[in-house]
This record gives sequence, structure tokens and C-alpha cells, in this order.
Amino acid sequence: MSFEQIVFYFFSAILLLSALAVITVRNPVHAALFLVLAFFTTAALWLLLEAEFLAITLVLVYVGAVMVLFLFVVMMLDINTSTLKERLGSYLPVGGLVAVLAIAVMAAAVGRDHFGLEQYAAPERLAADASNTRMIGEQLYTVYLYPFELAAVILLVAIIAAIALTLRTRPGSRYQNIDKQVKVKRDERLRVVKMDSEERK
Amino acid sequence: MIALSDYLTVAAILFGLSVVGMFINRKNIIVLLMCIEMMLLAVNINFIAFSHYLGDVTGQIFVFFILTVAAAEAAIGLAILVVLFRNRGTINVTDMDTLKG
Amino acid sequence: MNFEMPNFALAMPEMFVLGMACLILLVDLFLNERSRVVTYLLSQATLVGAFILTLSLYTPVRELTFSGTFVLDPMASVLKMAVYAVVFVMFLYTRSYLQARQMFTGEFYTLALFGVLGMMVMISAHSFLTLYLGLELLSLSMYAMVALQRDNRVASEAAMKYFLLGAMASAMLLYGMSMLYGVTGSLDLGEISRAIDEGEIERMLLVFGLVFMLVGVAFKLGAVPFHMWVPDVYHGAPTAVTQFISTAPKIAAFALLIRLLVDGLGGLQSEWHDILVLLAILSISVGNIIAIAQTNIKRMLAYSGIAHAGFLILGVLSGTAEGYAAGMFYVIVYAVMGLAGFGMVLLMSRAGFEADSLEDYKGLNQRNPWFALMVLFIMFSMAGVPPFIGFWAKLAVLQAVVASGLIWLAVLAVIFSVIGAFYYLRVIKLMYFDAPADEARIEPGRELAAVFSGNALVILAMGLFPGALMAICIQAFAL
Repeated sequence: MSFEQIVFYFFSAILLLSALAVITVRNPVHAALFLVLAFFTTAALWLLLEAEFLAITLVLVYVGAVMVLFLFVVMMLDINTSTLKERLGSYLPVGGLVAVLAIAVMAAAVGRDHFGLEQYAAPERLAADASNTRMIGEQLYTVYLYPFELAAVILLVAIIAAIALTLRTRPGSRYQNIDKQVKVKRDERLRVVKMDSEERK
Repeated sequence: MIALSDYLTVAAILFGLSVVGMFINRKNIIVLLMCIEMMLLAVNINFIAFSHYLGDVTGQIFVFFILTVAAAEAAIGLAILVVLFRNRGTINVTDMDTLKG
Repeated sequence: MNFEMPNFALAMPEMFVLGMACLILLVDLFLNERSRVVTYLLSQATLVGAFILTLSLYTPVRELTFSGTFVLDPMASVLKMAVYAVVFVMFLYTRSYLQARQMFTGEFYTLALFGVLGMMVMISAHSFLTLYLGLELLSLSMYAMVALQRDNRVASEAAMKYFLLGAMASAMLLYGMSMLYGVTGSLDLGEISRAIDEGEIERMLLVFGLVFMLVGVAFKLGAVPFHMWVPDVYHGAPTAVTQFISTAPKIAAFALLIRLLVDGLGGLQSEWHDILVLLAILSISVGNIIAIAQTNIKRMLAYSGIAHAGFLILGVLSGTAEGYAAGMFYVIVYAVMGLAGFGMVLLMSRAGFEADSLEDYKGLNQRNPWFALMVLFIMFSMAGVPPFIGFWAKLAVLQAVVASGLIWLAVLAVIFSVIGAFYYLRVIKLMYFDAPADEARIEPGRELAAVFSGNALVILAMGLFPGALMAICIQAFAL
């Protein structure tokens, strides 16, 4: 077994085991952490496939932002895990059988008979100074200009939707009005009171 | 050598596991959202593997967009989840009985 | 690297809608409750402007730009104009409903316009990439709109269900796309079609990808057996939003079907034909039969929508230009009837009362004979009774099915339509022959009453003169 193969099997095994853990563990926080592990191992597989830019993006965006968001929500909602506990039971036998069958069919369709080394030979490794980021960038800002702009619009919609759905301004809440703070004049804050001096008692 | 089929098989198993996850975790919405993320991850592995073996960068471009959209989707999904939780005080799907299919 | 400067002029309507949506978002910030009507007027102006731009760009040929990711052909122009018109009427209908429920906000209008943009992108897509992005832009806007009424418990449940199933459908669609990309080596619909026609790719692998894609598309169309979300979402969402998601997006879904199956996978017609036959039969039968058992009018219209989706698929599966034209005619007619159907629910409801139970329509004739007559028009049209437009739409689709030699399928569709006529006629019976359960006066605003009457009369007028729209639809596929 070559080194590459060892790396591949090592990370694939961890990926699939952590995916299994995501769908079976009971605590959503644990599930989120297993999903982080799945993302890391996937990034490793992508490095093997010479997709460096996307591998780094996956770690930065997914582990760094999306999963943190998930964890935030899990913590914020203070989900009572005990009520979510009872499960698996009745679905397991039928569901498991269907699942094994479905996965077997899918695996057969994408197996060595159709996508083996004879049909798709392993490509030569790229030169050490080949820049994956540059390759993607060159395509993204020319050929895929229109989709690129659309992706920006989708992010805008996500921002609008997330704010519209969750922003609440409670009537009683106190917050700083920086505008007012900056505009304040001396006269509004300081009042010089003239009064006669009083005799000390 | 690692064949293309090896990557595709990993992706297919991952995809299958996430679909199964959606069925056995019908109760816990947050895990359902994670299963959707895993399905998209499987699709991304497919695209990148094809892209590498075809020597064509287009597949990686598509993954770039899927990552973007999936992040937006996660944000909206979690926002809806927060709204739901505020209205109901639970995210247990079996408690969702107001609408019956 | 060969790169051609794109012809931006072809995408003028898209750029206009995007620019206006961003402008409305900004303008809305500076408006208070009383001047919010400016947002509404700007949104309507956006749709009118986009209509004019699209009309002026109409060409009888097929033009590609943005390196082949964008296509402008007669079908795209006509469908886009239909989308603007439908959303325009939807905005007219829903204004008073939104105002009465504190939903008359800038977010509703901007999200709706971004949804329109998503539909336009889908309609003009010529690559898996743009199809997917358009679909997601539309879907994300719709998920958020369903949940927009934040203190509405049922709506947030509906939004969650819609989101989970919609996201799963997108993932299925993507898995199929990844397989087709792998075996054809391209995302461009034209190149995929060419690669399939060369015939060197193993059919089994193409079909493997196709099945996943069809599952995704069937979910989005709401075809049986992937229809579970439709009744819950239509029922749970605020009626104004239901009216939006049940009409214009169907037009975009039709475009999605044509772009994917005809433009991209035309070479696999013998394979997708059989799957579509199954989806169509199941949708028409299950939709019409379960609709009978409903007591909630929004759920009833949802199941009726499922049956209509089945008819739409019937048009596409014949695989001929006439069939596609019939499908296009059907989807536009369905959007007009859907507007009227949910418009009737909007008309009867008032602040704090949704009028979504069939009981609420009892004795409508005694309470307001004019509205009862209009509802009669709508129900007859949906049931497919001549001379209303719904009849011609069904007839065109059935003719295409018969022409492609599937007479048994046409007969089945007719049988289930006759069964389906029962629940439409029940509404009419409730209106004319039952005593009213609710004596409250129906007092819609003058605007709403006018739009509703106009909509119902259009259904009648189009039924009397169906030739014009049919000619446009045939023209669209005459390439």
C-alpha cells in the first residue's frame, strides 16, 4: 500500500465514522463536534485531490463560521436533551435495511466497474508551484462572472432573511445611542447653578 | 493508486448515511440541519473528485458556489429554528402537531 | 484562456430588478409606517419596468451570453413576463391583508423581488450552475417569507418543514448534477446534450444521475410522492405568502423542467418519459382524491395544486414542441387561477379571521351574490368546465398526450379530473344552497374587490378567447 492510499483510507475511515456518530449520538453538541471532525477529514481528502483552496475554505468557513453558528444556536436555545433522547427503536430494523440497500446500490453504481482506474486514469500530479487558487480565480472572475454575482445576491438574501426573522427590539432594552453621544453639547450635560454661599454649620 | 471510484464510494456512503440520519433523527431539528450539511459535503466530494480525475477546474468552481449557498442556507435554517423555538419552546418535531400532513 | 466579453444588454431585466431591490431595501430604511406605501409603489414600478425591458429584448432567436451560462429565447421572455404579471397582481391582492397583520414591511417586498430575480435566473439558465443558483435564490426567499410573521406559530412550523424538505431536495438535485458532470465532463446544458447524443456514455450512469435530479425537481414541483410539504406549507403560511409561493414559482418550476430535461437531457427522453408518466398519474390521482377529504380551503387548494402539477408534467412528457407549448399554457393558466383561488381566501378574510375553512363559504350567495358568481367562475375554471380557461388548458395538454400515443393516460387523467370536479362543485353547492354560518358583512377594500373581480373576469375572457395565449406559447417553442 502506498503512502497516499494509507492517508486516503485513514481519513475516509474517520470521516465515515464521525458521520455515523453525528446521526447517532444523543447530545446535539457532540453531534456538532463530530461534524467538525468530518469537515476536517474531508478537507484532508480534498488536499489529496489537489483542491487546496477549497480545502482551506472548508476549514475556515465551515469549521470557523458555520459550525460555530450551529453551536451558538444549540447553546442559545438551551435544548433539553433528555426529551430528545428516546429514539432509534422502531425505525431501526426497517430503516437500517432500506439504508443498507440504498447505500449498496449507490456504491455499486459508482464502483470500480464504471469509475475504476481503466476508465479514469489517475492524473499526473501538478507541478509544485501550480496555484490552485489562481486557477479558480481566473475562471471565477471571467467565465463564471454571472454566477459569482448571483452568489453575492444569495448571501444578501440570507442576511436580510436572518435579520428580518430574528432581530427583536424590545421596548425595555437599554442601548447606547452613539449618534446622540457624539452630538451632545456641553450645555446639555453641565448646568452651572448660581447660588448664594451657605454658612457652614 | 487511489481510483476515482474510491472517492465516489466514500461520498455515496456519506450521502446515504445523511439520508438515513434524516429518517432516524426525525425529532431533533438541529441534527436534521447537520444531516443536510453532510449531504452537501458528499456532493462536494463528488464534484472535487470528478474535477481532479477529469483535469477540469469547473467542478471546483461548482463546489465554491455550493459552499456559499450552503452557508447562506444554514443561516436561514437556523434563523427559522430560532423563530420556531421562540414560538413553541421546543424543537422536538413530534410536538409539531398543529399541521398534520 | 479564451474569454469573450459578455453581452450585458441581454441581462438588463435581471440587473434592473436586482438594482431596484437593493434600492428599495435602502429607501425602506428611511420610511415610517405611514409612508411605507412608497415601498409598495416602487416594487410595482420595478415589475412594470422589468416587463417593459423584457418585452423590448424579445427576439425570436436563441442568444447565449456570459460564456454560455445565460440564455435568452422566446420561452424565457414569455415566462419572465408571465412571472412579472403574476407577482404584480399578487402585490395588488395582498396589500390590505399585509396592512391588517403588521406584515406590510419592506422585507416582504424585497424578499419577493429577490424571489422574482431567482425565478428569472432559473428561466434564463443554460448551465447547471445558474439553474441551481436561481433555484436557491428563489427557495431561500420563500423559506424566509413563510416565517416572516414571527409570532405565528403555525407559520414557523410550516417554514421549518418547507426548509428541511426543500434543502434535502436541493441536495438530491445536486447529487444528480454531480454524477452528470462526472460522466459528461461539463456543466453547460448544451455541451451535456452534445455529450449524450454522441452516445459513448453508458446509459446506466446517466440514468443514475437523472433519477436523483428528478427526485429533486419533483420535490420542488410538489409532485406525488414528494408532495408532503405542499399542504402543510400552503396551510401554515400567511395567505398572502401562500398566494405568492403557489403561483409564480410554478412558472419557474416549469422552466426548470424544460431546461433540465429538454435542453440538457433531451437525449435521455425515453428514460425520463417513463418516470414522468408515473409522477403525473400519481399526482393527478392522489391530488384529486385527497382534496375531497379536506375541510380547510387552503389545504384543498394545495391538493388541487398537486393535481395541476400532474397535468403540467403530462404536457412535458409528450416530448414534442406542441406538448411543451401545452405545458406552458397550462402553467400560466394555473398561475392565473391560483391567484384567484387564494385571492378569494384573502377577500373573505379580515383582521383576526382567516376564512380558510370551507364552512366560511356557506351561503355566500345570500351575503354577496357578485362575489359568489366570481367564485363560481374560478371553481368552474379549476374543475375544467368549458368555456372557462381551465378547460382549454386541460384540453391542450390532453391533446398533446393523445398525439404522443398514450391514450390510456389521457383517459385516466380525465377520469381523475371528473372525480376532482366534485370538490370544486362542493364549494359552489355550499355557496348557493346552504344557509350562511357567519352573517358578518364582507367588506374588502375597493381595490381588493376590483382586483378579484378583474381576475375572475379574465378567467372567463381568456376562456372565450384562448387563441392569443396559445399562439404565444406555440411561438415560444417554434425554434
